[in-house]
Amino acid sequence: MAAVDVGAGAPVRLDGRQKVRGAVRFTSDFQLPGMAHAKVLRSPLAHARIRSIDASRALALPGVLAVITGADISSLPDPYYGVGIRDQPVLAIDKVRYVGDMVAAVVAEDEASAFLALELIDVDYAALPPVMTIEEALAEDAPALFEEPSPGAPLLVGAGATSIKEPSNNVLYEFRYARGDIDAAMRSATHVFTDSFYFSRIHHYHLEPYVNVARADDESIEIWSCNQDPFILRNDLSRMFGYSLHNVRVHTAMIGGGFGAKSYCKMEPLVAFMARHVARPVRLCLTMDEAFHTLSKHSAILTMTTGVSADGRLIARQSDIKLDGGAYSDASASTTIKTGYRIPGPYRWDAIATTAIAVRTTTVPGGSFRGFGGTQSSYASESQIDMIARRLGIDPLEFRHNNMLPPGEPYSPGDSGFDSDFDAGLAEAARRIGYRTQPKRRGHGIGLSVGLKDGGGTGNQALAELKVSDAGDILVRAAAVEIGQGVGTVLGVIAAEILDRPLSVVKYGEIDTDHTPLDTGTHVSFATAVSGRAVEQAAIDVKTQILNFAAERLQCAPSDLDLRDWTIRRGNEAFPLQKMLRDYYGPVGNEFIGRGRFKIEYDEAAPLGSQNMFWMPCWSAAEVEVDEDTGKVTLLKLVVGTDAGRALNLPACHGQLEGAALQALGQSLFEEMVYDGVSLANADPLSYRVPLATDLPHVFESFIEEHGMGPGPGGLKGIGEAGMLGIAAAVANAVEDAVGVRVTQLPITPERVLAGLQAQKQDRDSGRI
Amino acid sequence: MKADVNCVVNGKTRSVAVPVNRTLAEFLRDDLNLNGCRVACDGAVCGACTVLLDGKPVASCSTFAFEAEGAKIETIEGLSSGPAKLHPIQQAFLETNAFQCGFCTAGLVMSVKALLAAHPSPDDKTIAEWLRSNVCRCTGYKTILEATRLAAARLKEQA
Repeated sequence: MAAVDVGAGAPVRLDGRQKVRGAVRFTSDFQLPGMAHAKVLRSPLAHARIRSIDASRALALPGVLAVITGADISSLPDPYYGVGIRDQPVLAIDKVRYVGDMVAAVVAEDEASAFLALELIDVDYAALPPVMTIEEALAEDAPALFEEPSPGAPLLVGAGATSIKEPSNNVLYEFRYARGDIDAAMRSATHVFTDSFYFSRIHHYHLEPYVNVARADDESIEIWSCNQDPFILRNDLSRMFGYSLHNVRVHTAMIGGGFGAKSYCKMEPLVAFMARHVARPVRLCLTMDEAFHTLSKHSAILTMTTGVSADGRLIARQSDIKLDGGAYSDASASTTIKTGYRIPGPYRWDAIATTAIAVRTTTVPGGSFRGFGGTQSSYASESQIDMIARRLGIDPLEFRHNNMLPPGEPYSPGDSGFDSDFDAGLAEAARRIGYRTQPKRRGHGIGLSVGLKDGGGTGNQALAELKVSDAGDILVRAAAVEIGQGVGTVLGVIAAEILDRPLSVVKYGEIDTDHTPLDTGTHVSFATAVSGRAVEQAAIDVKTQILNFAAERLQCAPSDLDLRDWTIRRGNEAFPLQKMLRDYYGPVGNEFIGRGRFKIEYDEAAPLGSQNMFWMPCWSAAEVEVDEDTGKVTLLKLVVGTDAGRALNLPACHGQLEGAALQALGQSLFEEMVYDGVSLANADPLSYRVPLATDLPHVFESFIEEHGMGPGPGGLKGIGEAGMLGIAAAVANAVEDAVGVRVTQLPITPERVLAGLQAQKQDRDSGRI
Repeated sequence: MKADVNCVVNGKTRSVAVPVNRTLAEFLRDDLNLNGCRVACDGAVCGACTVLLDGKPVASCSTFAFEAEGAKIETIEGLSSGPAKLHPIQQAFLETNAFQCGFCTAGLVMSVKALLAAHPSPDDKTIAEWLRSNVCRCTGYKTILEATRLAAARLKEQA
């Protein structure tokens, strides 16, 4: 019997008391003696060549220690970073490529002096034409953001997929995937529909700022970072500075929210460079305005041509996806791959042909954001599926039901089978929203959708270590970052179950790359499943060591023994373990160190180069009221569900799902980064509107299914991104259900609904419908 | 230029000369090592830095330290005497899982304290109206509203 009964009640989170007392130490609280402060000068132009930078006035300001520019940064062995394609300089070298691009940095005794000095740096720019949109960037005579190819290589893909780095001017990346005979399948279709959708750009709005404190010298770097990828960061710093891996040490405290913003390398090399330059610890804490200019979710234009048979069977889908990657690569290449691969949704097809590209524009770089391409593809796909059902006069729920992939069936040839009953989950969402239980009336509508995303990542891996004292206290060491999801608690539950210990004796170790076992970053809803498997193994390793030790002491076989409540049992005999250990090892006792690792194997036969570890559904249902005079959409009820496989902390699962769903609801109805000319019009915390307590739907329900088919311990899988996936389509579908207007652009603002209503009225008046 | 600030922070009298441009958040965090108040938006929008000034919630990032002259300041650190003895509001947040990353939590707990002082039995609309001054990007708010209702019920029982 497990010591941690996860069924009856929820485990109290390991970080709970600290958090409700405000006692957590975030990186923003961290200080070092002698610490100096930095501020960054950002480009006011979207696209320009830097002719010269004169920092003499800034350097003359009392308290200023140094001004760093691209010329200084160029001395690094490799001054560029990026995921796969390394095109982003630590500070602008020669050119700036968006308003907000980092041009220079000031180090001073205090933040205020550094801030004052920024205005005293004179930069002489030669303006170049801006490239603000996907259309502008792809125009025949479009100015090039990059004149030369960037270092890096295309990311790995497998059967049926093609991955091309920088195929043409201003195109950062191209991904293609095809299976079946698309032309023949389209010819055989009775109905063929083409629709386009516009997905908006949003910001993470993480509350803990981007913050780093570093110290560095000619051979080593030590950095305290809010970055969620300690080992990726370590490797980047090592490459860029030419230092050996173990001469770079990254400390990661608990993170105050990230949602993808804090993944991969950002301003960390700059902080290390400044610390080395002034030979003092340096802290750089960005404002929220600066965070808006650091990373965003990819806006996108998605066009799908979908063929359907006479009897309502989905046959073929040809997709053309263009993501706005912004000025620099960041994670655009992998986002392109994932958006392209996910566009078919959870349905069965005869043929698929997809082209997805990431386009370079002179705007804020696009990068990781909860959902990572799955949000874009789910919004477009689930909108079109709904539209097709309505056009064909088939009930949207029925249409999905008839085409849904069943559990066990591979998503694509060569990929893993579905480890969730997508159809059952959608039926549950429909039941909860009261689908088809009320008489239809204009102005009131219900929309469904099934978001889909793969989880666990391509080829990812995690190592884990358990240090278990002779008293039975467990220290879990893994590089999965506590970013709010409660990962320490879940990994603790996994370890405690195997060692039959209460959760109260578990501690989750603080991350330090010198001591914590490596992983590939806290991404893709990965930690419970991938790190979970590694922790499970480490705990089994400890248990084996304990039983072997006891068997030796008791002169019997390990299989004769059992470990329960930190006591060795042999039949009816009981031997307290700590006493056995002290009797043998002496008064200081002993420590068991268990190790585990889990790696998602590469597999060329799988389209993305490794079979997907698990599948994340987002069963969504929205009930709306549309005011036809104002175009305002009111959410009467929102239902969101996913499959955790097995929930180790049920309330935390609901929390993840609801939090993601509300982020998605913000994007559905009002939240958007708006460009006015070359600059963002609302890149500040006040004018960028995020959901508040008053924006909650009148009824907001989440449900967690436990289908037990996941690859993690006990059949669990990750759910962190799930709630983000299906909401926007469900709301759009509900609006069409209510008033017959299809809004194909996010957010679904009153203006867009009104425009649709007016167009509808004109059509009606002219007798077209 | 400095100003003398004489105030009572979590029941303790403090007399400190602070620069006139020092914010209350800086005063609490840097001078008194009370890091529970978090600075996020730095513009009185998100509520993460909420503390109580004579019982009223204020954004300490946008309040000068000298404005606390003669005032009674309450921060999250004054609510519980240790990890085992949580204030009923903190206990309610813990039990209802009304936190994730924890960056907004202290500010929210302080806002709830002020809310329940003004409205011991608030209805849902009142709770939402008060708490719209605090952004939580993680939870989706549902559990925070639940925590507030639970804390209200417990505090009423105690009273």
